[in-house]
Amino acid sequence: MAETLRASTNRVLRNPVAFSIVLSLLLGAAIIAATGTNPLLAYSEMVRGALTGSGLRNTVSRMIPIVGMALAISIPFRAGVINLGGEGQMVIGGLAGTLAAIYLPLPPVLVIPLALVAGMVAGALWALLPAIGQTALKLPILISSLLLNYPARALTGYMVRFPFADPTVTSSSTVPVPESNRIPKLALFDGVSASLVLLILLLIGVALFNLRTVPGYETRMTGLNSRFSRYGGVAVDRQVVWVMLASGGIAGMIGTHLVVGETYRFLDGDLVVSGFAWSGLLVALLARHRPGPMLAAGAFFAALQIGGLAMQRNVNVPWQIAQVLQAVVIIMIAGRFVLKARRETAAVIEGETTVTGEV
Amino acid sequence: MFEQLFDSALVESVVRALIPILLAALGGMICDRAGVFQISLEGMMLVGAFTAVAGSYLATSATVGTVIAMAAGSAFSLVLAYGAVSRQGDPIVIGVAVNLLALGLTSFLLPQLFGVRGVFQDPRVDGLNRFPIPFLSDIPIVGPAIFRSTIPGYLAMLAVPALWVFLFRTPIGLRLRGVGERPVSAETLGVNPTQYKYAAVVASGMLCGLAGAQLALGNVVQFSENMSSGRGWIAVVAVMLGRAHPAGVLGASALFGAAEGLGFRLQGNGLPVQITDALPYVATLVALALARKRFKRILELTAA
Repeated sequence: MAETLRASTNRVLRNPVAFSIVLSLLLGAAIIAATGTNPLLAYSEMVRGALTGSGLRNTVSRMIPIVGMALAISIPFRAGVINLGGEGQMVIGGLAGTLAAIYLPLPPVLVIPLALVAGMVAGALWALLPAIGQTALKLPILISSLLLNYPARALTGYMVRFPFADPTVTSSSTVPVPESNRIPKLALFDGVSASLVLLILLLIGVALFNLRTVPGYETRMTGLNSRFSRYGGVAVDRQVVWVMLASGGIAGMIGTHLVVGETYRFLDGDLVVSGFAWSGLLVALLARHRPGPMLAAGAFFAALQIGGLAMQRNVNVPWQIAQVLQAVVIIMIAGRFVLKARRETAAVIEGETTVTGEV
Repeated sequence: MFEQLFDSALVESVVRALIPILLAALGGMICDRAGVFQISLEGMMLVGAFTAVAGSYLATSATVGTVIAMAAGSAFSLVLAYGAVSRQGDPIVIGVAVNLLALGLTSFLLPQLFGVRGVFQDPRVDGLNRFPIPFLSDIPIVGPAIFRSTIPGYLAMLAVPALWVFLFRTPIGLRLRGVGERPVSAETLGVNPTQYKYAAVVASGMLCGLAGAQLALGNVVQFSENMSSGRGWIAVVAVMLGRAHPAGVLGASALFGAAEGLGFRLQGNGLPVQITDALPYVATLVALALARKRFKRILELTAA
């Protein structure tokens, strides 16, 4: 018994991901304790809030945008293109999808899919800007995609403040999506959005694409060595454009889901405040852009956040501790903070992999 | 129309917008010269703003707040230094995560320490004083803007020529550039690249801390969640546009300061705040597109 415990502890410490998670939870406990709350109490509230009662449904619901955004970010990331503009693509797509769901004079069977398509198209077009910037003007996507988040926020804020404002409320918001045009809820997990099905299909699709198709292989090759890829005949510029279109499209669809499937009104700042795009980015890094592990990592981060909200309600510890834990995990993995002696043996045994080693 | 837009108040708001960006960008410039890829200016600035307000509140002194912000910025910069320099981790991943860590940490500590959400304002938070320089501050239009500044403001202006002298006219500056351009050669000459890279990152942390203090104790006297709102990223662009040269960085920062100041003025003239808020970012993007320089290094880093 003691022997197996030791063996499994060793295994955890050798695994950089597990080790980083354990260490960041300890660090989080220290921060919580330093600000005057018993960390054991806080963490037990977190677990209870994330997994029991309506917490489980909320965790699964939150998993949808986090994993979706992770998927969106991972497609260009595998090709070595870093899209930090997920947030902007999400809000632009979200607004377009919402407006379609509100104003399209068609039966609901058509309106809901068309709203998702509208969101995808708008998000993809917003992502096209930095893609063209890089291929035509040599502006790094890393910077331009991030800077475009701010005008996206401003543009949507303007739209819901003036042309598409609901005059009956004081906040900057659209009118609610008509009940018939909302994305339905499933009987699963106490009524989680049907978008979950869409997300799972998307995950499977991307996994198959990555592993079984030529362009899927080519993106990975470009990510590993773009010069080699170019030499091998891959049209790298065209690849940059399509991976960004795919990324922005998924982001826009997730934005649409968040309104048409969850909140039903596009409220200025609503999609930004929870930081889904950024959580998604961290999930993609944690899972090294593989769809299966992204689902697991996304569930973990969603549980942290929902548990964090419960912790805030019950023991008055701000939920943002979840954001701190997420960032610390990634920093530790990227910096390869593993027990040194063990790290070297582990590297010999199983061949060391890092967050960035396989992007 | 033109006269109505261009007066001393406009110049003043331009200078006010420029100073935090300039301070952060000078930090980014030092890192760039030392060959450290630095995109966590945003996060360090946010930490600086938070600790400046916290320090000023606890000691009821803006000076103490500013010093604490510089110390906190430096300490926080060690995360990137250790992760990216010592452990050779991916500087982009660590930089992005450090920014998110700063956002999470400050949003967590705000209610935890001060019991408020979103914005913290208190009469005990001491703002930075302005020190007018006799005669010079009487120069029309530019005088009040430039020569009636805060300590971080004057430090930012002095840092431009000082860093030029440091980088291009001192042996240490030469070695720092050597570390950035030819680390192996520098090492052969007995220069320890790790030391120089650490020093550069810590210097950028200190400058970003100062930028945060100016933002939270000079431009306004309060802390609000995520108040750096992209200025650190604009500073990253300023380093690129200014080709990591002090004069160039000053010029680029002035451009973004002008966009923000002008936006502020147009807002006063009735333009919706959503439009004017977007102006500095759009100006940054347009400037990048017009410059059409080949940002080789960052492209190599992101697409290698």
